[in-house]
This record gives sequence, structure tokens and C-alpha cells, in this order.
Amino acid sequence: MSWKRFIGAALASGVFSSASNADEIRFNRDVRPIFTKHCTACHGGVKEAGGISFVFRDRLLVDGESGNIPVVPGKPEKSEMIRRVKSKDPDEIMPQPKHGPPLSSAEIAILEKWIAEGAEWEEHWAFMPPLETQVAGLKNESWPSSTLDRHVLSKIEGSGLTPTPEAAPREWLRRVSFDLTGLPPTLEELAEVESAWKTDPAAARARAVDKLLASPAYGERWAAVWLDLARYADTFGFEKDPHRDIWPWRDWIIRALNADMPYDQFSVEQLAGDLLPGATPDQILATAFHRNTQTNSEGGTDDEEFRVAAVIDRVSTVWTTWQATTFGCVQCHDHPYDPIAHDEFYEFVDFFNQSEDSDLTNEFPKLRLAGDEFVALERDTRALREQLNADGRAISDAAWKPLGNLVLTPQFGTLTIDSTGLIVSEGTLRRGVTHKVNASAEPFDALRISIHPVSDDPKNWPEMGVMVTDFKMEKISPDGSRQPIPIAEIFADYLAGPSDPMSAFAGQPDGKKFEGFSGPGGKGGGGVGFGEYPRLTGPRQFVLLPAHRVELSPEDRIEISLSQGANANESQGTYLHKFRVETASDTRYPLLLRDPARAAKWQSVIANIERMATMQSTEVPVMRDRAPNARRDTRVFARGNRLTKEHSVKADVPELLKKGYLGREAANRLDMARWLVSGENPLTARVMVNRLWGEMFGIGIVESAEDFGTSGIPPSNLPLLDHLALRFQNDHKWSIKAVLREIALSSTYRQASAASPEIVSKDPKNQLLARGPRNRLTAEMVRDQALAVGGLLSRKMFGPSVFPQQPDGIWNSVYSGAVWIESPGEDKFRRAVYTYMKRTSGFPGQLTFDAPSRDLCSARRLISNTPLQALVTMNDPAHIEAAVALAARMTAHSGEIHAQITHAFLTCTQRIPDELTISDLESLFQDLSRETYVKDAKLGPNPALTLTANTILNLDASLTK
Amino acid sequence: MKDLEQRLRIGELSHLTRRHFLSKCTTGMGAMWLSSLGDNAFGAGAKLVKDAARPFAPDAPHLPGKAKRVIYLHMAGAPSQHELFDYKPELKKLDGQDCPKEFLEGKQFAFIQGVPKMLGPQFKFKQHGQSGAWISDRLPHLATVADELCFIKSMHTDQFNHGPAQLLVHTGTSIPGGPSIGSWATYGLGTDNQNLPGFIVLTSGGKNPDAGKSVWGSGYLPSVYQGVQCRSQGEPVLYLKNPDGVSRDMRRRSLDTLDRINRRIAEETGDPETVTRIAQYEMAFRMQMSATDAFDLKQEDGATHAMYGTEPGKESFANNCLLARRLAERGVRYIQLFDWGWDSHGAGANEALNAGFIDRCKAIDKPITALINDLKRRGMLEDTLIVWGGEFGRTPMRENRGGVEMALIGRDHNPGAFTVWMAGGGVKAGTSYGETDPIGYEAIKDKVSVHDLHATMLHLLGFDHEKLTYPFQGVNQRLSNITKTGTKVVKGAVA
Repeated sequence: MSWKRFIGAALASGVFSSASNADEIRFNRDVRPIFTKHCTACHGGVKEAGGISFVFRDRLLVDGESGNIPVVPGKPEKSEMIRRVKSKDPDEIMPQPKHGPPLSSAEIAILEKWIAEGAEWEEHWAFMPPLETQVAGLKNESWPSSTLDRHVLSKIEGSGLTPTPEAAPREWLRRVSFDLTGLPPTLEELAEVESAWKTDPAAARARAVDKLLASPAYGERWAAVWLDLARYADTFGFEKDPHRDIWPWRDWIIRALNADMPYDQFSVEQLAGDLLPGATPDQILATAFHRNTQTNSEGGTDDEEFRVAAVIDRVSTVWTTWQATTFGCVQCHDHPYDPIAHDEFYEFVDFFNQSEDSDLTNEFPKLRLAGDEFVALERDTRALREQLNADGRAISDAAWKPLGNLVLTPQFGTLTIDSTGLIVSEGTLRRGVTHKVNASAEPFDALRISIHPVSDDPKNWPEMGVMVTDFKMEKISPDGSRQPIPIAEIFADYLAGPSDPMSAFAGQPDGKKFEGFSGPGGKGGGGVGFGEYPRLTGPRQFVLLPAHRVELSPEDRIEISLSQGANANESQGTYLHKFRVETASDTRYPLLLRDPARAAKWQSVIANIERMATMQSTEVPVMRDRAPNARRDTRVFARGNRLTKEHSVKADVPELLKKGYLGREAANRLDMARWLVSGENPLTARVMVNRLWGEMFGIGIVESAEDFGTSGIPPSNLPLLDHLALRFQNDHKWSIKAVLREIALSSTYRQASAASPEIVSKDPKNQLLARGPRNRLTAEMVRDQALAVGGLLSRKMFGPSVFPQQPDGIWNSVYSGAVWIESPGEDKFRRAVYTYMKRTSGFPGQLTFDAPSRDLCSARRLISNTPLQALVTMNDPAHIEAAVALAARMTAHSGEIHAQITHAFLTCTQRIPDELTISDLESLFQDLSRETYVKDAKLGPNPALTLTANTILNLDASLTK
Repeated sequence: MKDLEQRLRIGELSHLTRRHFLSKCTTGMGAMWLSSLGDNAFGAGAKLVKDAARPFAPDAPHLPGKAKRVIYLHMAGAPSQHELFDYKPELKKLDGQDCPKEFLEGKQFAFIQGVPKMLGPQFKFKQHGQSGAWISDRLPHLATVADELCFIKSMHTDQFNHGPAQLLVHTGTSIPGGPSIGSWATYGLGTDNQNLPGFIVLTSGGKNPDAGKSVWGSGYLPSVYQGVQCRSQGEPVLYLKNPDGVSRDMRRRSLDTLDRINRRIAEETGDPETVTRIAQYEMAFRMQMSATDAFDLKQEDGATHAMYGTEPGKESFANNCLLARRLAERGVRYIQLFDWGWDSHGAGANEALNAGFIDRCKAIDKPITALINDLKRRGMLEDTLIVWGGEFGRTPMRENRGGVEMALIGRDHNPGAFTVWMAGGGVKAGTSYGETDPIGYEAIKDKVSVHDLHATMLHLLGFDHEKLTYPFQGVNQRLSNITKTGTKVVKGAVA
């Protein structure tokens, strides 16, 4: 048997291949599929039975546990793998009989030849840089109008087919109008293109495409694609599923797409716009991409559990959206098929683990949409606070002394002192509990409160948060008289979380000046006090400066009251369980209080806070990282379980795809974002052009748009994908519109969709593209078209989401007073992209037409055909309303039914109806006209015409593009 | 035209069976979704191919299963096992005492603070039937069919909040985005009646479950497999009714016109999707009839209404039970009922153990018993799997929200132990499996996880839970949650 036949057998078994020299063994084409089929389930990233993995080359060329080397390059006879696959001994043969059938002789021959030739390893195609290949030897050189057409034609001709003739202008215009703007062309637009086509078809097409790309509708159409990936919705998700103001981010997407913001910038701003130097409000707003994760506001839910869930969702979403790589599985173990290690997942998690958000009901941190000034004030205030806090931290060698003769008064439970002098609180506490510490002390300038976690093992951190929401100190003289000791300033080991520690002193007699430091949510939301909220990430220290040195006689005592009024998890107190109080006599502290430069800074801070309080506006959850000295410790989760943590890791990108990464010591999301669009990442451009292609043709070059890895579906035309990717990032400078323009004007896209049975049966999914695409309208298009053809569609852009007609009783969420109140006026008829999206109760018309629920990142919609869809377009009152409007247009167009039907058919399909079709519809109309209709039915002034219009809107030709 | 007729007939009469390989699917009947029943995405096992044009075409499972359909009765909010099935005389003795410290260490509660008081069972218990099942006096009717039931007393979960716990019970993961059991069942088995949705959801108690529609979502499976929420008031299926003023005959004439024009388009374009669409509109027309018929409770006689306690036109759990039987009869694969209002914290009269809980018990007792008897009488109990349960259990301690004693009596959430019972299709009737500790706080003997329950349900339907998979995020995902190890079929509950 010749090699050609062996390889022929491998190809016939369904393995993808591009034509090339069949005598040469190629790892990716010939060998890897055998490994994936027979070996990796046991010897892969999940299980490495016998210490062998067929995913990483260096784990295959080493000694296996049996002492024999699986693969010895050049020597098949010495390779254990060959011996085992050929073995007849049921205990020795691989795969073991219980795991699968033995390898065929053809497969064994391929492996032997591969080893004999040196066992060259190739990385999976998607992890290698794209390559431009020249297409030569085409039979029909006149057909291609661009390089992409040459790649397509090469495939078509290679399959023994020929392209389908060009579509008529009306067919092409319908297709391209929907694909670029999500709306059908008007009859005027059609007439214009048809007339221009007669003189110069190429110019007519170019003009039409440019007009569509310049239309504001373009951004609205393509935003829908991005919103699926970003899992955009107008609510939090989970039980209560309350409202979230994040529509300004949706508007950001529409604007960015309309402005054709280059994809590299579009990516960086959404991934890490907040970290750009001098970030503008718009760049910060862009990061709401990540805040589309769900927030669990159900009473009693663990804020840390759902914070971590959101972080992990961000990681998976970034990998699906930009890399089409299945990264989620690396949470628990090495990647089963691709060479990505378990630890690398957590290194990547670290990029996202530093963000301030923590599943709080107030969704801190947020961006207030109050213009550049607000963002500048906020940034200035934060910088000043860091400087002021650093002054206190600079004093690192004060002599701290414990308090003496402690008398502890618990309000609830018990307060005791342990052997190390820590004060320990136990028992049933209630929100607002006050611990009182009464003690003697030497005169002091500063008081230090150290908060300790209950556990000493960092692997058990973080613990439930600790917040002292109200702090008071008094001096008690021997006669029992009490004198308040006001606090002037507090220094924290670092500043993080929703509250400024200064807010703990608002209850003092002079407390008013501290009120402005309250964060979002007040006491309940952790916006007041010092400590850490909602979780204690480790030991914390706070130094409190009394306004004046505290002079104490040996008989005097001080009393400290620590009140704990904050709730985390929406229901659980955040109590001090272990803490220590010390004093220091150190003149450096009072000097800080009297430093005029510092006083000026404080004045600026307070002035800023007051000014910001006057600038009320919509607030959108966004990304904001914790300060460098407040970084969270990111640890590997054993088998993906966040409750069993292993060693710490630092932010990094996986070794496999490291090219283009300029890692720094303290790398952050911005480094990661820049790596993705560095131009050296082999996936970013490919994934995006594949998405654009998939939207235009109905199926991607890589059908599994969400998975380019070894477990995904191989590309149907890799040279085409690579050409498009390189052109996108190099020639087009990441312009999305430029790519779409090129596709829309290509010979490939311009083909008629009607095809011979031969082509359809040979290529049912139309991956060879020997015919033009013909696909069902998306959920959004079905609705928008119905409204557009009747002239109901509002073209108003942007703003809060709207509530079109929806049957009663759809929204029945528990613990939520939210009700669907139909929007008044034109808001009822806005484009579907503006429809309010409630996660736990999606808009029925959308979901029925395969729109995802937006719980998780969705890279493609699987198109289904169900009777429920027919019920929507036939019976939904909104579609009936659209039919009434279309009937009105028909009546306005002509008094003759023949002309009315022709007009409606043209408007809905852009096709000229043949006489048979017109007579079918006409006799339907005549038939329906003989019926009697109740007066109050919502079928408009001419019910028979309305129902005829409804029938036209339900035609296959109306529902496809 | 002849060719088209042929293709339409193919579309109607035949469909691709599960073990076809994609390469053989050249009939051009529209999109195919591919999954695998093997070891991995490229593994040696056969591929499960579903035809997007006929996604619900009936399919055979891996092995013959006893159960052909499921009726799942979920008491949303989590009913107290201490007041219904898990009788603990020891707990009675501890009533009113401070909860010992060791019961509280390392525990997380939704609302209990500090040291709560123990709370004994609030109702009287008695043994019933040959099997001697302990059932409290709140469910006197159900007690009469005790010998049909198989109790699992040792259920436990790792979620103690409603939303995540309900998601875990119905999708095998606590984060929204996983397919629900009904989606898996209809994906794996299709459905026997193409004129009704294969997976129907009915709710009562005035609210949807806490986790919203995600509990009947299709997650990463094609969205066609999501549950269809039907209503017992108004139109049972959204948009089922013709617009006012449009009769069935008028709709037929519209459809005939559509059909004629669509056939010509199909001829002209050769687009297989058009063929699919023609069939889809015909199916919608039939669904209008069959769904309306299925939901018409007036067709039932007075004796049946008396048995179930039903009142046609009302939204009630009783009506939903009767509807469940009617849907089961008509070949619906998975019928999911949610009854809201079982969250007995004692924070309000509508849910407290000594108030609202009593009413909820009354509302379910008769109809569930009637459903079991009715199915049995019709010979359908043996191939209908009924599952009853909540999303977690309740504490043996009395809730002390905010650290204070509350006016009404209630219990907090407890993931450590709860009771589920099954009946019918392949279940070992008249048994009790697993045990909790002497106060009903933790499952201790023959513990059953939510994933074990899923594996068992799939087993009863004829599926190996490790083989009914779908590739997503690089892994062959499954209902029994790939990240959990040691999941097993509860053999002791299988006949």
C-alpha cells in the first residue's frame, strides 16, 4: 500500500486538510488528529496517565513512568508508543480496549513515518502566525474582484464546482442592507442603485456600500453582535435581578462602531480604558464591558463567591471574544487539548482580580456621567488622598505601646484578651454592635488599631469583612467626668474599597466635615468606616491622630467605642473579631497635622468632594483597579475550587501565546490589552475577521467561532482566513468598515443565492461559497423590518432602554417591584437593540428567534426553526400593529389591490412578484374581504388588507436576507 | 415540483437518527447541530446529530429507560424537611435550647446570627402504608399513596441561597448559563408530540422561581431546547391565539397562500431552509389546535376536578398538576412545575411555619396525590418519573434574623440536608434512602448530591450521565457537572 493511500484513508475519515504534498507527513494534518482521536482523553491536559501527555511535546519525548520513552525521534522501533499501539497483549495495547478501538494500520504507519522523519512537532494552526499565500493556477481569472475572491475560487474550483452568477441588484442590495445596517432597503434606495447600476455597476455598488456604512443604522446593527459577546443586559441577573444603568456603554459601542474606531483601540479601551494615561470619561465608560457580569443581590449570598465568579467570567469572556480559545476549562486542570497549563489560568485571573468591584448591590465602583470635569476632580481627589495617606505611612518606626489595665465591655457576646494581647470578640452579635475598650495609657499622639483575620493561614483569606463604621474616644477623669477626644485624621496601610476611612468619625461632635467621605451605599453598603469591605483580605492597620496630643495622668483612663454597622452579603454583619489597640508618643504625628501644605491639600479634597456632590448624573459600573499597594493576592484554586487555594501567582499571559507581550514586573490589564492587539498575537485578527465573515455569510470560515483550538472545527479555508486577518491588521489598520466593505463588494458575496441541487447537496452549509449567502433574519432584524416596512420604526438613537409591547405577566420576579410599562410614543417603536433586556425574563420575541439570554458570553447564535417563531410573526400584537401600518401604506400607494400587493411585496422582499404570486395574494384578500370583522378588533380600518400584509410579512422571502 | 414534494415528505416522515455521522448528512435538510456521545469531541464514540429542522424528533436513549417522561414538582423557596418527611424525635427534645457551638462552627447562614435556639418539629408525624413512611399530618392525602414514593432523605447541596441553589438543582451549576434538565432530556430524547413544545414549564404561587427563567434555560445547548413557559390563564403558549377577529379557517387560508408562494420560492432558490419554514408554519397551525386542546381543563369531568381540587381558569398548583397529566398523555417529554412560597423564614405570615406553610401544604397535598393516582389508573405511572423537592433544606434551628427572636416561627436555609421524593418510572416505590443526623441537620448516611440526583434521573430516562454531553468551552459538558467527581447513580432508588 502506498503512502498516498494511507493518507487518503486519514483524509476520508473526516480529517481536514489543505492540498499539499501527500508524501510528506505533517504533524498538524496527519498526526495530531490521531492523537486527539485516540490518545488525549487519557494522556492529555486533564489526565496525564502514566505521566504522558500528547498535548505538550516535551511531555511526550521524556521518559514515561514505565521507563520507556514514548517517542524517540528518528527511531520508531525504539519508541514505546509504537510498541504499545501495535501490541496484541490486551494489557499492553493502547488505547486499552475499554477506552477505544485499536489504531488502524494506516494510522500506525503514519505515526511510524512521522517518528522516522524526526518527530517534528507543529503547533496547532491557530497558535501560529497567519501566513499570506499566493493563489495561482485559477481557471477563471476573470471572476475574482479581490484577493479574497481568489482564495474562495481556488477552493470552489478545487471541488470541481463553478461560482454561481452574480445576483441581481435587488437581491444583492437586500442582502447587503441587512448585513450592514440590519434594515431592508427602501424602494427609493433600490431605484437609485438600479439606475446607477445600468451605467457603472461597480461604482453603483461602491456608492451603495459606502452609504450603508455611513448610516447611523450601521452601528446599531453591529452593536447587537458585540452585545452578545459582552453579555449586555439592563439588569443585574440572579434572584432579584434589579435594574442596572449600563445603557451608556451600549451607546458607546454604537458610537465607536459608527466612527469606525480601529479594532485595536476599540479593544484596548474596553479592556483597560481606565488604565490609559489621563483616561477620558469615554475611555473609562468603555470598560463597562467587564461590568456586564452578573451581580448577586439576593439576601445572604456570599459577595466573595460572586465576585470571584464575575472575575472568572471576565477571563472566559476575554478569551472567547478576542482569542476564541476555550480557557474556562483551565480553571480546574491543564487544558485538555491545547498546551495551556493550570497555573496560567490563574496568572491571567490576576489581571482581573485587582479590580475594585466586589458584588456589591451598589455596584461600586461607578463612573458618574458628569463630564470631563467630574472625572478630573475624582482623579485629583484620589491622588491627593494617596499623598496625604502616604505621609502617615512614611512614619514606619514609631514606638507603639499596648494599652494598660484593659476593661472590655461587650454589647453582645463576649470580649476577651488572648495570650498575644489580641482582643477577641465572640458570640451572637447584631448589626450596629459596639465594642467598648476602657484602658489606662501614657500620654500619646497617635492610636493604632490593627485588625486581624480569624485565621492565620493566608490560604483561608479573604474572610468576612470588618468595618468600624463609627469610632469614638473619650478621656475619663478620676471623678468620672468624660471628655471627648476628637480624631483629626486617620492613616490606612492602604486605601481601597468603597469607603474612605475618614468617614468613621462623622459621629464626633465636629463630625460634619467627615460626612463627605461616605462612599456609595452608606453604612449598609460599606461606604462608611475603616476596616475592609466586603471582605478582609488580610491583616490591616490604621493609625488615628487625635486633634491634639492626649495628655493623661496615671489615674485617667480612655474609652474607645467601636461600632460596627455595616452588612455584607446583604444580610451579615462585618464585625471585628480580633484586633489590637496601641498608642505612640511621637512628635512627628502632630507635625503632620500642623503642616500648612497638607492642610491645603485637605482643603482641596473637601472642596472637590463638595463640588462633585453638586454634579449629579447617571452612574455606570466601570472597572477601577485597586492601588498597587492594595493588590489582591491571587492564588491557584485546587481543581478550580475557590475554597481550596494553593500557591500565589502574578499576572501573566500563557507561554503559548506570549509573542507581543511586554510583561512588566507589576503587569496590569493594560499590558494584557496591548498584547492582544500587538499584531503579533496570532488569534486576535483572525477571530474578528472570522466573526465579520460569519455575520455576512451565515457561517464562519471557522464554523466554531467560539473555539479555534484543537477541539474546535478546523477552518474551511485557512489561506483565506489568514489573508483577511493580515489585511485587517496591516493594510486596513484594524478598520472594521474596510473589511466589511471589501467583503460586500467581493465577487463571492455578490453571487446569487439560488443554486443548483448539485451545489446544495455537495455543500449544504455553503462553506465552499459557490453560491451567495441566504440566511434567516436575526431576531433584531425580524422586528425592525416589520416596523420599518410599515413606516413605524423610530430612528431615534441612544438613551435608556425602551419597553415595546409585551404580553402581561411575563415579568414575575420575586422580591422585585419591577413592572413592564409600555413606552409611550415613538419609544415603543425603537430598533430592537434598544429593547429592555431583563436577564431572568428576556423579551419573548428576541429569545424565540435564537437571541441568547446574555447570561454568558455568546460567540454565535445557533439558528433554529420552530413553530413558536411562526406564532410570533403571525400573532404577536406588535407584528399585527406593523401589518396594520403596512396596510395603510398599501392604501396610500394605490386604490387597486393588484398594485397594493405588488407594492407591499416589493417593500418586504425587494422582489418583483410574478403574476401567480399576486393572484394568490389577491384571492386571499378577496376571500378575507368577505368576512365580517368585529369593530374593536385591532386589525385597522381594512382588516382583510391587514391580514394580507401580515401574510406577506410571513413569507420566506420576507424573513430571509 | 416532484423533487420538492419528495423533500417535504422527507422532512415530515424521516429524520436523521442520533448515530449518523455528519458526513452522511447530505440530504440538505438545513442546519445540523453536532454533539458527541463519546469520550471527547473527537473521540471514538458516535456523534449525536440533531437536525435543526426537526430538533424534537423522537430519539432513543443509550439504554432502554423505564421513564419516558418527567414531571418535576419544585417547591420554590425550599420546604422544611423537619415539618414534612424527616421526622426527628431528638430535635423535639432540644426545642427552645441554645444551639450548641459545634453546630455553628464553620457554617454560613443566610440570616441566622450568632447563637440561635433549636426548633423541634412543628407538626405531628405518623408512619404510613406498608413501607411505614414517616409523613407529617400536613399531608394527609399524600400519606395514602406513601407506598408509591421513594424518599431520598440524604440530599445535600453546596448552595444556600435560592437563586444559585435552584440553578444547581435544575442545571447542575450555580451560575446561570447551564442547560436545564428538561433541555437535556428533550435534546437527548426529542419529544413524541411535534405539535406541542417538548419541555413545558408551569408556575404557581404568583411568582417565577427565584433564579428566573435561567432554571429552564437551554444554556449552551441550542436555544430551541429551552423550556416553554405556558400559562394556565389566557393563552397557554405565548402568541398562540390568532389575533382577535381571525378565525381558524381564515388563518388556514392565509397559510395556504403562504404555502403556495413559499413552495415557489423553494423551487427557485433551492434553499433547504425554505422547506423547513413551510413545515414550521404547518406545525404552528397544528400547535394552535393541540395546545389549546391540551390546556382546556373544562374537558375534564367533575370527578376529576373533585379529585385534584381544580378550578378551570384559575392559576393554581392544582390546575398545573392536572395540566401535567394532560400534557404527559399527549407526549410532552418534560413537564416542570414550580410552586412559589416555600421560603419559611418566619419573617412574614405568608411563609411562616405556623401560618403560610400550612396553606401551601394544603394547596399541594390533594393535587399531587390525585396526579399519582390518576397516572396509575391510566397505566402511565410506570413510565412517568415524578420528582418532588426544593433547592435545599432548612435548619433545625429557629431563625433569629438580626440576632433577635422573631414573632413568627421559621427556619433558615440549610444546604446540609433536604428531602426529595420520586415516584413512578423505574423508581423503587415504598422506600426511603439515606439518613440525616439525629436532628436532621446534615445528611450522614448514603449521601446524595444534586449531581447524583441528575445522574439517577438520566439513568431512569436511559442515559449514562457521563455520555450525554455537549461540547462547550473546550469540554464535553454534561448535566452532572464535569467539575464534580464521584457522581453516581443512586442505585438504591432504582427498581
